[in-house]
Amino acid sequence: MERWKVRFPRLVSTAEHYGLAVLSVSMALSLALLLQRLHFRDAEVPLFLFAIAITAWYGGSRPAVLALLLSCTSFDFYFAEPLHSLRVSRFAFPYFIAFASFAALVAWFSAVRRQVERELRQARDRLEIEVAERKLREEETRSLNEELGKRTAELEASNKELEAFAYSVSHDLRAPIRHVAGFTELLQKSTASALNEKSQRYVTMILESANRMGTLIDDLLAFSRIGRAETHKTMVNLEQLVQEALSEVREETNGRDIAWRFGILPVWFGDRSMLRLVMVNLISNAVKFTRTRPHAEIEVGSTDPAQEQLVVFIRDNGVGFDMKYADKLFGVFQRLHGPEVFDGTGIGLATVQRIIHRHGGRVWAESQVDKGATFYFSLPGTAGV
Amino acid sequence: MSTLGRILMVEDDPKDVELTLTALEEYNLANEVVVTRDGEEALDYLNCRGKFASRADGNPAVLLLDLKLPKVDGLEVLRRIKSDEKLKTIPVVVLTSSHEEKDMVASYRMGVNAYVVKPVEFHEFVNAVRELGVFWAVINQPPPGSIKRT
Repeated sequence: MERWKVRFPRLVSTAEHYGLAVLSVSMALSLALLLQRLHFRDAEVPLFLFAIAITAWYGGSRPAVLALLLSCTSFDFYFAEPLHSLRVSRFAFPYFIAFASFAALVAWFSAVRRQVERELRQARDRLEIEVAERKLREEETRSLNEELGKRTAELEASNKELEAFAYSVSHDLRAPIRHVAGFTELLQKSTASALNEKSQRYVTMILESANRMGTLIDDLLAFSRIGRAETHKTMVNLEQLVQEALSEVREETNGRDIAWRFGILPVWFGDRSMLRLVMVNLISNAVKFTRTRPHAEIEVGSTDPAQEQLVVFIRDNGVGFDMKYADKLFGVFQRLHGPEVFDGTGIGLATVQRIIHRHGGRVWAESQVDKGATFYFSLPGTAGV
Repeated sequence: MSTLGRILMVEDDPKDVELTLTALEEYNLANEVVVTRDGEEALDYLNCRGKFASRADGNPAVLLLDLKLPKVDGLEVLRRIKSDEKLKTIPVVVLTSSHEEKDMVASYRMGVNAYVVKPVEFHEFVNAVRELGVFWAVINQPPPGSIKRT
């Protein structure tokens, strides 16, 4: 359908163009004959040239050739000696040739001009389309920007809501659990002699649960604070952080046989207190999960520190974990060991991951059950001087 | 124990009041404790207004202040105390459920004398309250004009 619509007018317009050639030449001829009858001299040349020019202009080069042929024939027949014959006398021949050449020149000029104009027109159309498209794209960009602004506002609002939620958790959830723990302990004291062993065990379990709930709430709040707190990045001496982390886990390492190995760690750009928490968490994990080993080995180091990103690893020879649970490792409250074997709330690695993500880095781990584990984290950015 | 300063406790939760009083009782510090249930009542007490209009003059030796309170909240009570010429010398100890850093920073900005987060474990809570009571009501020399029992 679309093709027909395009082709049909073109066919018609081609016929029109040749018609224009015939029409303009015959009008020029009639006018020239009329003027001749009115005794005007030499009016035919400019009239025919005009007709050719008009045809070339509006009809294109092929109709112009037709107009040229018609003009030459008419000129020869009506105005070149001998009159009313298609022969040209020797006498009038140069005149006829001059006319024909001049007419051809006019036709050529007009055709070239027409071609140039058509190209210009096409170029203009293309430009117009481009401008329209660009406007459309600008419109799209603007609406995307607006959308982004809206999303940002929504995110900010939901962040505020989260903050309010955390605030309310810390105030309102902690209070009842404190009361449970408090009154249970008072109960335990006041009925110590009256309760039988079983009941006393129940009371102890209530107490333990309440205290554990308290620890969980506190850990969860600390975790959410890390997400909300602003990072203050400076150049951090990572080796120093490792030493600080070591002194923090001293209580757990006392009396144990642990062989420490420390590789070279660079000074790197990051939030000091947050990265310190990362080191403390990873090192205390290594200490915790080698507890069952008579001789523990823990290594802290980094791989290819010269590159764009820093990769730090903490390797131990502890109980390890099954790699099929590797994706669960960094989830909140995810634990791969029962609480009776290894204590903890399951928030440490989630905290590590959150901190490293906030630094634009990545955390991962490799392990085999009973063959130790290696935890890695990467930090982007350039090394310090 | 020669003297015992009066402790003004501002706490809306009756269970917390009971636990705190129990902790103080264990060390004979509960006699001089006045309990108010919201910020407005606490300010009434301090300014001898409303139901405390007839009380004897004098500031408490220490104010134990919860932050989340009905009517006038803890931070507002603190702000009003510290901007009142007569009251601003009263030592104020914030005793709150929350670890919220924002509250802590705000409290210290307004000149709080101590900030204590109530521990979940009861014996830790008892220890904290006892130490607070002993320090502020017994060891510390309160500013002149405080109520003391000899």
